[in-house]
Amino acid sequence: MAEQVLVEVGIALTALAVGGALAARANQSVIPVYILVGILVGPNPPTEVGPVSLTLVENREFIDVLAELGVVFLLFFLGLEFSLERLVEGWDRLVGIGTVDFVANFGAGVALGLAFGFSPVETLFVAGVVYISSSAVITKSLIDRGWIANPESEAILGTLVFEDILIAVYLAVLSAVALGSGGVEEAATSVAASFAFLGALTLIAWYGTEYVERLFSADSDELFMLRVVGVTTLVAGAALLAGASEAVAAFFVGTAFSSTDHVHRIEDAVSPVRDLFAAVFFLSIGLGTDVTLLPEVAGLLLAAVVVTTLTKLASGTAGGFLYGLNRRRAIRVGVGLVPRGEFSLIIAALATSVGTGALGTTIPAFAVGYVLVMSILGTVLMGYADSLTAYAGESGPSLR
Amino acid sequence: MTVYETDVPGVGRKFEYELGGEDRLVVLIHHDGKREVFRRPSADADGTKLFELSDKQAREFGTILEGAYFQPVDLDRVEVPLGESIIEWTELPEGSPLDGESLREADLRQRTGVSVMAVQRGEETLANPESDFELTAGDILVTIGTRDEQGEFDDLISG
Repeated sequence: MAEQVLVEVGIALTALAVGGALAARANQSVIPVYILVGILVGPNPPTEVGPVSLTLVENREFIDVLAELGVVFLLFFLGLEFSLERLVEGWDRLVGIGTVDFVANFGAGVALGLAFGFSPVETLFVAGVVYISSSAVITKSLIDRGWIANPESEAILGTLVFEDILIAVYLAVLSAVALGSGGVEEAATSVAASFAFLGALTLIAWYGTEYVERLFSADSDELFMLRVVGVTTLVAGAALLAGASEAVAAFFVGTAFSSTDHVHRIEDAVSPVRDLFAAVFFLSIGLGTDVTLLPEVAGLLLAAVVVTTLTKLASGTAGGFLYGLNRRRAIRVGVGLVPRGEFSLIIAALATSVGTGALGTTIPAFAVGYVLVMSILGTVLMGYADSLTAYAGESGPSLR
Repeated sequence: MTVYETDVPGVGRKFEYELGGEDRLVVLIHHDGKREVFRRPSADADGTKLFELSDKQAREFGTILEGAYFQPVDLDRVEVPLGESIIEWTELPEGSPLDGESLREADLRQRTGVSVMAVQRGEETLANPESDFELTAGDILVTIGTRDEQGEFDDLISG
């Protein structure tokens, strides 16, 4: 059995490496490619090409643990990059652009969920999936296109910062509600328990900076990496036992580090660990995707792609104007925020773990299809941003 | 010159350096040390990427920019100590009273105490110029004398 697992993990990682190389060559984000690799080598159809079996990876337990670590470290780094400095500087604009973004896109998600007959909790999942833009895909595209040197990047990154904070709160509430078994009282208790746990973590994050600083001063990078990875995983696991979201706990552990001098060293020593686990997470999403379910969600998928592309364009453009940008740059903000990715998938993974009704079947399938379309559509649209401006009329006078 | 510094979450830090007017250099420093340098000629224009350097290259190139390897000659401050005397390179400014005079007419030795060792004109350097050599604005005179004498000479040529 053990030899079976090892060879399957080997196949999975090699397939990821090949897929990643292809993505880099096509100048696309790796996320959709990793998912496709998972769909290909997984136990669900397509299972064979002619006589050749494509079901290469069936032992999910080990891969699922690695994938779980991927979620933990994605959120840990989100917390690590969380900078008060960005929040404080121009917080009024940030809250303005973030609120517009949330109301338009989360609202569109709620409307879609209800229109397609989902229950309130399921609707919350759908709304989260379509609301949250992908930090990973967007920052990479900003750099590739050179927009990072222009004023529109401030508005785009500002929106992402706001979304990242909101998604931590959202995940905390959602996992407490979804994992609580049924009754209102049960749900309230689990929300309270998880918030108590996260509250304690927050206090440590705020007041324990010095301790964290001292505790993690290791001479060698190896020992340093082990301490960070160990403590983060332990806290995330404890959170899960306490009924809180492991992802949110990891986010708070990250924020505890964000104001120490270790940030740069973590970037160096722990990033490779995150990249490995995150790649396996995207793969495992693909492994668990049943493409035969896609026809069932095709209507929802089509509606969501059209509606939420338009709402992101609209809210981003409005946010760009809030930042005092001219029309061309404001439209770029809207276009730049279209890609969805890792966080939508984390919400989908949470839905799978709840596994009741549509949460176990159609919503994850919808989320995967949606992310595949939006991550690619978003990066393609960025190339046409300036043609979009031409349709929207001439650019007005610039304020910057 | 103002430098704007912002955090780019997950990537690194961004610096914007004003070149004058709306023209800006934008430097993106990645966490892995990679530097990308863009130039944005005006607020409405898009930044164009000029070049990208690794951490090591950026540091080496940076020291060249800093002038650690070669300082451009600052004519006011080049001094070579020579006992009590120092050698100085001084450019003859436009409108100097010496402009158009021969070395004999200028009579620098008598009037200030410095001796002219050489004159640089453009790419050419004439060592030990004859007394009928005519000075023109833009010439760089290489003179030897004490600090006081050099001071006298500076006062004289600037009129």
